[in-house]
Amino acid sequence: MEESDTGLVLRVRRGDAAAANRLLERYLRPCRAVALAVTGSEADADDVCQDAFVSAIERIDDCREPARFGGWLLQIVRNRARNLLRRGEVRRTESLDEHTVADGPSPVLEVERQELRERLRGALATLSETQREVVLLHDLEGWRHGEIAERLELPVGTVRSHLHHARRRLREILGNLEAER
Amino acid sequence: MNDPEAADLTAFDPERDPRHWSHVKNATRFRVAQVILQRNRGRDPLAVVSGWASPILATAATILLLLGAANVLIGRPDPPAASEARRLAYLTEAAVLRGHGPTGAELMAAIHPREAR
Repeated sequence: MEESDTGLVLRVRRGDAAAANRLLERYLRPCRAVALAVTGSEADADDVCQDAFVSAIERIDDCREPARFGGWLLQIVRNRARNLLRRGEVRRTESLDEHTVADGPSPVLEVERQELRERLRGALATLSETQREVVLLHDLEGWRHGEIAERLELPVGTVRSHLHHARRRLREILGNLEAER
Repeated sequence: MNDPEAADLTAFDPERDPRHWSHVKNATRFRVAQVILQRNRGRDPLAVVSGWASPILATAATILLLLGAANVLIGRPDPPAASEARRLAYLTEAAVLRGHGPTGAELMAAIHPREAR
């Protein structure tokens, strides 16, 4: 059985590096998804999720309810990402090279993927920040409605509604773009 | 409410570039390890020592008490050194139970009970 957030947080407070690593495995990807929802930039999301996670471990004693570590951590991510936006330091576009690896897909395939990413990014930009968080946490990270509700401090019904509208909007926009091609 | 089918968001999956994502994770792990190291360095050394010292002291005290009790049971006279050891054992056990070491006066009282009075 997976160890609870509470157990892991208490172990981190006692200086247990393995527990911190377990939390990292559990939350770094969702942190990135939330950072991406706020900034719209993958490169910035990578930086923000790292900084926010490290900061959370530094301030672990401030996490008043260890059972709600996930929500507390995601709030740190959100704040950091918003600060980045406020300072106008977000990298709006990423060079193709950033995601091209030497033994990765062919340049043509990579161009297509980059194009798809741009279309998706444009479609996500039409959603509210919360809708983006919900759809990325659900459809990319595989979190269930209840998990999202708990960690975003929203009623489950609201999460379902956000997901429904976000998916519908994404399909409309991506469908229109497809028809225009 | 029928949910529309999920849009394919795998283009945003960090693991589509495993090398890059592995680098992000390892960099985070390294920074977290430094934070934990710093945290452990900053901890009160007495708290760290007491974590392992208490069980050792408690065990030592119990052994001394058992030896004392065995002495009484087999009817051997209690030599001065044995009395002193027993008093020290009681003192150590009490110190372990209350979570801090004995004071100088308590130690003196255990070693030279008459002089301390």
